[in-house]
Amino acid sequence: MSVDEAVRRHPLLAREGDDELLDARLVGRRKPGQWISAVLVLLVVAGIVKSLVTNPRYHWDVVGAFFLRPSILDGLVLTLWLTAAVLVSSYLLGIVLAVMRLSSNPVLSSVSAVYIWFFRSVPPLLQLLFWFQMASLYPQLSLGIPFLEPFVTIETAHLFSGLLAAFVGLTFDIAAFAAEIIRGGLVSVEAGQTEAAKALGLSSARIFWRIVLPQAMPAIIPASGNLLIGLLKGTSIVSVIAVQDLLYSVQLIYAQNYLVIPLLLVATIWYLILVTILSTIQFFIERYYARGKGARTGFWRLWRGQLPLVPRSRPRRDVEVL
Amino acid sequence: MSEPLVRVRGLTKRFGPHTVLDGIDLDVTRGSVAVVLGPSGSGKSTLLRTVNHLEKPDAGFVEVNGEIIGYRRENTHLRELSDRAITRQRSRIGMVFQQFNLFPHKTALENILEGQLAAGVRRRAAETRGRELLDRVGLADRERSYPRQMSGGQQQRVAIARALAVEPDLMLFDEPTSALDPEMVGEVLGVMKDLAQTGITMIVVTHEIGFAREVADQVVFLDEGRLVEAGAPDDVLASPTHERARAFLSAVL
Repeated sequence: MSVDEAVRRHPLLAREGDDELLDARLVGRRKPGQWISAVLVLLVVAGIVKSLVTNPRYHWDVVGAFFLRPSILDGLVLTLWLTAAVLVSSYLLGIVLAVMRLSSNPVLSSVSAVYIWFFRSVPPLLQLLFWFQMASLYPQLSLGIPFLEPFVTIETAHLFSGLLAAFVGLTFDIAAFAAEIIRGGLVSVEAGQTEAAKALGLSSARIFWRIVLPQAMPAIIPASGNLLIGLLKGTSIVSVIAVQDLLYSVQLIYAQNYLVIPLLLVATIWYLILVTILSTIQFFIERYYARGKGARTGFWRLWRGQLPLVPRSRPRRDVEVL
Repeated sequence: MSEPLVRVRGLTKRFGPHTVLDGIDLDVTRGSVAVVLGPSGSGKSTLLRTVNHLEKPDAGFVEVNGEIIGYRRENTHLRELSDRAITRQRSRIGMVFQQFNLFPHKTALENILEGQLAAGVRRRAAETRGRELLDRVGLADRERSYPRQMSGGQQQRVAIARALAVEPDLMLFDEPTSALDPEMVGEVLGVMKDLAQTGITMIVVTHEIGFAREVADQVVFLDEGRLVEAGAPDDVLASPTHERARAFLSAVL
């Protein structure tokens, strides 16, 4: 191409060869390091997969045979049910504790702080054993006003089955963590939002439920997702007090047939399935609360975005169009 | 002059050792526009925030439409009202903030609905009124936009519509154009001028001297928490008597 032609198209600073540059495709940098590391990692993965498939002691046939056993499915249902019940009750308690913690009333605020300090400090397993032994500490439980004749009295041993001990222990534990997560979310909402709502004549309850809490949710959801997954797996500690959850159900079986590894694999696969479902739900909840924030990424687009190793080249926009 | 809609008497507010408001007396006639000027830190915003009880006074009182704001009289003392009663009083007073404070998780229209729904207006009626107000501030086409998708000027116009939705007796503006890019100041001031024409009572804290000259019925000047100058805009702006007011005006004009 001649210099004249280049000058006609781009009157400033034209030089021989500019046109080839303008017509050139822009291509991303080559990344050999990414290929090498990918191959190395794939080799390790292949090794693991090979041993999973070829090592006969995994007894995959046994895994298949026991995977849908009614007793295991019962355990699965109990795990799910317990997780859901603890989640709901601990978040209700957690909201109350978080609001108390932020209250200007020093008594409420301190009581909440002490609660959170105590239940975050005590391991849930220890707490579970404690609740299970409740009857030896308080043989009878009464409902009433301190120092007055109680309205109702119950034998503690009748009340605290393993399952109730598990429910109460886990609820008290998770609520302490939930309270901190919720408090963090509430604090992250600007004070101006509350003021604007007050100035519009919204009541305190309305301000909390319609203005502050929805804006705190994007900060609350990711941490709560973690907590929920931790809880789902954490329910497996109830097996120590003989509650028949997913883990205890497989333990009961392998205690009889000694096929320990394949039965532990059954439980593992079920936990993997459950956590995958929870993570997917979490993704959609996060996306819902991102409204008004612009970027709403689709599920598959997010996945695809992680994948490509090959730099994508795109043809350059024709300069003359400008 | 008719009976004032707003009466401020002896209003005093301290933050720790700082006296932010020091015995402010002010009347705002029904249907008039009062513009509050003064250097930053002079207590203008605090004065405005005390009028709808976002700040509690340490002494003195604010009366709007014959009602003492935030308190009721009990023989020798004033007792703070219940949240519910204060909420009811606030719903008669609209407020527009420097930082807009629109609810970011709600669309323009939903922002305008919020106060009406709280006041018990039916959703259908609230939406109709919301659309009217959006049209009035020139944003009829943005009802589904979220605050982050709008310019600062547009957000502030939505905020004005939101404050108007509950049909307040009084509108408070706290430096409504100070957070805006220069080319957007005009559109917001334009909406405020139109509003002043409708005969609503307004108290405006601003640095826009031109707006004060053109729209205000009364200009007051605050300095270090004291009201040092008050009068018709021509008098106060053209020939301020107080030294601080003179220095401030010569700096901003």
